[in-house]
Amino acid sequence: MGLTDTAPESTAAEKRPESSGGGLLPGIFGEGSPTFLTTKLDFVVNWSRRNSLWPMPFGTACCAIEMMAAAASHSDLARFGMERMSFSPRQADVLICAGRVPYKLAPVLRRIWDQMPQPKWSVSMGACASSGGVFDVYSMVQGIDTIIPVDVYVPGCPPRPEGLIYGLMMIQEKIRGESLVRHGEHRREEASEVGLPRADAARIGELTGPFGNSTRQNRVSGLVHTDVAGRPEDRRP
Amino acid sequence: MTAPVDQPSAPVDHPSVVGLKESFPEALQDVRVTGAGQTVVRVDGARLLEVMRWLRDTPQQRYDLLVDVTAVDYGGGRPLEAVYQLWSVPHRRQLRVKVELPLERLEVDSVVPLWSAANWLEREVYDMFGITFHGHPDLRRILMPPDYMEGHPLRKDFPLRGRFTRAEQTRRALAKEVEDYYLPGEIRPGRDPQNLRPQSQGGAGSGPAAPDGGGE
Repeated sequence: MGLTDTAPESTAAEKRPESSGGGLLPGIFGEGSPTFLTTKLDFVVNWSRRNSLWPMPFGTACCAIEMMAAAASHSDLARFGMERMSFSPRQADVLICAGRVPYKLAPVLRRIWDQMPQPKWSVSMGACASSGGVFDVYSMVQGIDTIIPVDVYVPGCPPRPEGLIYGLMMIQEKIRGESLVRHGEHRREEASEVGLPRADAARIGELTGPFGNSTRQNRVSGLVHTDVAGRPEDRRP
Repeated sequence: MTAPVDQPSAPVDHPSVVGLKESFPEALQDVRVTGAGQTVVRVDGARLLEVMRWLRDTPQQRYDLLVDVTAVDYGGGRPLEAVYQLWSVPHRRQLRVKVELPLERLEVDSVVPLWSAANWLEREVYDMFGITFHGHPDLRRILMPPDYMEGHPLRKDFPLRGRFTRAEQTRRALAKEVEDYYLPGEIRPGRDPQNLRPQSQGGAGSGPAAPDGGGE
């Protein structure tokens, strides 16, 4: 910010005598934040961003097959600007998490997200990435939104390629509404939160509560009403 | 097709069963044939290594391929069973060997000295069931994280969702660095991970994680 602070002041000092002469420039360069120039600049920047979204494919399961199908010739993601699957997070704009994420992979996903430069977006593709899906088990992350921020959830098991393309086009719509003036709002990222869970403990408990058949499980104290042997040394509180 | 699934006392003409009855009459505890025609032999856990060595080296047996090592927890206080699936390439014959392990003593000899394939398989059984394999060169968890605190997930009394809350599981998962899942030597570039652990000749770089390398 130190560099850019000086530049507007000098240009403003130059323009000031002219702007006092003609009343046109305040609407263009003026003090109000969404001026003609910034909105046009927003348009150009958003146009270029949304039409060259490079996905970072984080495919761990069958959803990745559909993601590959979406990139292949029949449905051809490149039509919409996802020209190149970027297998390096440093050159990627949108993270597509396709498939289930075990806890052992959670730090990997978190690091890949932290390595992606701003501006960045993320798609949670499929039931497992969005909520854990059928894998309500000891080893599986119950929704990647407990780990990284998610912009678009694509439902399905797995979603069709059309679903993924629709999700990516929703991200394009989201980009269309962004403004450079509110850049800090859109792109807020605390350095102190890097590598930490996205949600706090209460929120994770809320997001990952048992549902469906899982309500028959008792999470903490072992199985409840079965005739399985009690082995007290296995029941750690 | 009306035969029961398990026939404890049916006459079994499997050549290995005949041989085992002659050579190890007191170690052979049970012989069964499953509905699919699989011959299952249960042997004494204390003499497992001896029986396995005989099965591998005797010319009439020659079980030179260890297909799988796994275990079963039947629950209800019953003992766990370690299961060894063998295949003889020369004789084109298969045999399933089981060992019963009481819950209070989940220990058995490792068969890594006989088949190197048992290395990772026994690590998996140790990880999932908590069975200790004596003489294993590198017995540590293979699927779950090395410092996994919740127990052994495939036991019947392990709750499906784990023992900790989801928040605690997430916190623990993200507290790890990616590199924590590997030994220091494994992430050094240019090393062949297969040859990482010197099993026969103990080099200087065997590292501190070798469990029983101190005697030499």
